[in-house]
Amino acid sequence: MITKTNPDEIQSYLVDAANFKGNCSAVYFPETHDDIVEIVKEANNNKTEITVAGNRTGLTGSGIPSKGIVISTEKLNRILEINKDKKYAIVQPGVLLSELQDKVSEHGLLYAPDPTETNCFIGGTVATNASGSKSFKYDATRNFVEALKIILPDGEQLNLVRGENFADGNTLILKTESAKKITIELADYKMPSTKNAAGYFSKPDMDAIDLFIGSEGTLGIFSEIKIRLIDKPENILSAVIFFNDESSALNFIDDLRLSSLNPKEINNSENINVLGLEYFDKNSLKFLESDYPKIPDEADAAVWIEHETNKESEERIFNSIAESINKHNGNNEKSWFALNLKDRKGFQDFRHAVSWKVSEYITKQNVQKVGTDSAVPVKHFRIFYDYIKGLAINSKIAYLVYGHFGDCHVHLNLLPKNNDEYKIARDVYRLICQKAIDLNGTISAEHGIGKLKHEYLEMMYGRSAIKQMAKIKKELDPNFILCIGNIFSSKYLIDQKL
Amino acid sequence: MKIVVCVSHVPDTATKIVVGSDNKTIDANGVTYVLNPYDEIAVEEALKTKEAQGGDVVVVSVGPDNNKESIRKALAMGADSGVLLKDDNYRDSVGVAKALAEEIKAQDAQIVFFGKQSVDYDNSIVGQLTAEMLGYNCVSVAVDLKLDGEKITAEREIEGGREVIETSLPAVITCQKGLNEPRYAALKGIMAAKRKTIEEKDAAVSENSVEILEMKKPAPKEPGKIVGTDSSAVPELVRLLKEEAKVI
Repeated sequence: MITKTNPDEIQSYLVDAANFKGNCSAVYFPETHDDIVEIVKEANNNKTEITVAGNRTGLTGSGIPSKGIVISTEKLNRILEINKDKKYAIVQPGVLLSELQDKVSEHGLLYAPDPTETNCFIGGTVATNASGSKSFKYDATRNFVEALKIILPDGEQLNLVRGENFADGNTLILKTESAKKITIELADYKMPSTKNAAGYFSKPDMDAIDLFIGSEGTLGIFSEIKIRLIDKPENILSAVIFFNDESSALNFIDDLRLSSLNPKEINNSENINVLGLEYFDKNSLKFLESDYPKIPDEADAAVWIEHETNKESEERIFNSIAESINKHNGNNEKSWFALNLKDRKGFQDFRHAVSWKVSEYITKQNVQKVGTDSAVPVKHFRIFYDYIKGLAINSKIAYLVYGHFGDCHVHLNLLPKNNDEYKIARDVYRLICQKAIDLNGTISAEHGIGKLKHEYLEMMYGRSAIKQMAKIKKELDPNFILCIGNIFSSKYLIDQKL
Repeated sequence: MKIVVCVSHVPDTATKIVVGSDNKTIDANGVTYVLNPYDEIAVEEALKTKEAQGGDVVVVSVGPDNNKESIRKALAMGADSGVLLKDDNYRDSVGVAKALAEEIKAQDAQIVFFGKQSVDYDNSIVGQLTAEMLGYNCVSVAVDLKLDGEKITAEREIEGGREVIETSLPAVITCQKGLNEPRYAALKGIMAAKRKTIEEKDAAVSENSVEILEMKKPAPKEPGKIVGTDSSAVPELVRLLKEEAKVI
C-alpha cells in the first residue's frame, strides 16, 4: 500500500473545489478492503483522526482533514460487477462517476444520479447523498443504493442490504460480521419534505442503510457499494431555452414542474415528466458568454430542460414542450435544441461550466465563495426566489443565480471582492438560510454540511438535534477518529455539557 | 444562388466499433449514427453563405434510408430542402462522388460544401473527386472563406501553416474545424424542418473500383510499465526512455 508524507505530494489532498484548506501528516492509498481495516484499526488504537477523501470535488470541506491522516479511495477504483439482467452494479468507492455511467451505458443501462460534477467518486456521492439535475425525476443517490459494505471506526465490518434491517421506532440495532451488536438511539427531528442533504437521515422505522448514506463519512468507510441501475432511455430531448425576461423563464419552469410532479419514475408517455429543469440567470449567462458566444445577447435567463423520449412519444413530448416555450415567450429562433449526443453533452458541459467558472474565479481571486444550497417546498418557491434575489441586489456584491429549479433548489453565489464584502455576504447567506428554514425548506439540499455549515444546521434543527446526531456518532466511533468536524463540530463529541 | 451541402451519416465517434462477422463491415448493432461532424461545419458555412448572399440550401446525401436522419438535422439547422440518393450497398469514394456530381449538375449549384472528410472511412477525397467530375474549382481543408461576387478568397491548412487561395465560382469547398462554429437547431428550425420534404431517388449507377478485402482493429496498445515508485527508479526510467522508447 502506498503512503505519502511529502508535503509537496499531499498538497492536493488539502484543498477542495470550494478552496477549503486543511492539514494532515500522511495520505494512505488502500487497495483492498483489508488495507482499510488495517489503517483504521491502527488509527483507532492511536486515536489518530482519519478523513476519507474522494476526488475532492466537494464544496463543504468534508473530504479535507483538519489533522491526522487521510485515506484516499482513489486506488479502490474497480467496477466489480455489472449485472445486466438484475440491473445492478457493485463498485469500489473510488470509481469515477463518469466511468461508471459510460460502462453501464454500454450494457444499455443507466445509473440515474447525475451530480453536475462527473469527476466525483461514487463513494463520495453516497457519503453526501449527491443529487443533481436528474434528481427531479429520480431523486438523489439514496434511492439507488442497494447495499453497502462498511468498515466501522473500530475496524469491524458491517454489511447492510436495503430492506433487511429496519429500526424499531427510533431504536436501531446493527450487527457486525463478527456478531458485535450496536444499539443506536435515532434522532427525532423531522426532515423537510424537500430534497435534503443536511445532517443524518432520520425517520422512525427507517432502513439502517439510510443512516450511512449521506453521513459524510462520519460513521464508517464504504469498501463496496451496490447500486441499482435502470434501463437506458431510448432517447433524451435536451434543450437550452433562452428567455428575454426572468419571470417568463420562472413561469415556464412552474408549468413544466407542475405537469411533471406526479407520478415520479413512471414513464407515462401520456404526461410530461421532465428529467430536470436547470435555471441560469442573466449574471450566470454573462459569466459564460466568453466561452459560449452562441448565447443570444438579449437573453435575461435560460432553462436547460431534459426529457426522456422514445420513438412513440418523441413527437408528442416535443410538441408539448414547444407549446410551453411559445406560451412563455421563449426565444424560438435562438434557443438550442440537441439533435445528437454530442449536442446533449455540450449542454451538460454548459451547465457544468457555470459551477466550474465560479470555482475558477474564486481560486484566481483567492476568495471564498458564499454559495447557497437551499431548497424550499414548491408552494413557497417564488416567494423565496424573489426574497433572496432582493437580498443579493441590495448587498451590492457581485452575484449569480443558477440551480435545480425543478427541485426548487437554488445556488445563489455571492462573489465578495474583499473582506468587508465577505462579511456582508455571510450576513446575506445567513438570512437566506433562515428564510429557507422559515418556509419549511433546507439549508442544504445537496452539498451537505461538511466543515463549513455547522451553524446553519443548528439553526435548522436546533441544538438538541445536533446532540442527538453526536450521540449516534459516539456509539459507532467512541474514540472520535473518523471524519471529525463533518456535519457538526467536535465540541459536541468532547464537551459533555453540550 | 443555389447552394448544395453534401453530408454523410456516420457512426458517432464515441461509439465502440466492432468488426462484423464477415470481417469486411462493421457490426451496426448498438452503433449510434450521427451527422458527420465536419459536415456540420459545411452546413453552417452553407447557411452563412445563404444569409449573406441569399439563395437556397439543398442537403444531399448518398446512402440508405437512415441517412435521412442526418439530412433532417441539417434541415433543422436551417437548410431548405433535402435529397437522398438511395443506395443500400457499399459504394467507394468514386461512386459516391459520381452520384453527387450528377445531382449537383441537375441542381445547377454554384457553390458546394463538404466536410473535409467523413469520419467513417476517412478517405478525405469525395469533395475533390466531385469537383473534378463537375469541372468546378476546389478548395480543400478550408479554415476561412470569403465570397465576393464570383470571387472566392479562402485560407486552407497545409503542413506547418496556412495558404491563401483565390479562385472563383462555381466551386467546391471542403470544410475544416475552425472555419465556423456550427449552430444548434432552434425550435423554429425544427418545426420548419417537419414541413420540409426530402426527395428520394436512386443514386446514379456506379461500379466500385475499390473492394474491401478485410477490416480489422489495430493491435491493442501494450500496457504501461511501472519501473518503481521512488527516486531510485529514475536511472532505469531514463535508460528506458532513451533505449526503448527512444524519445530522449
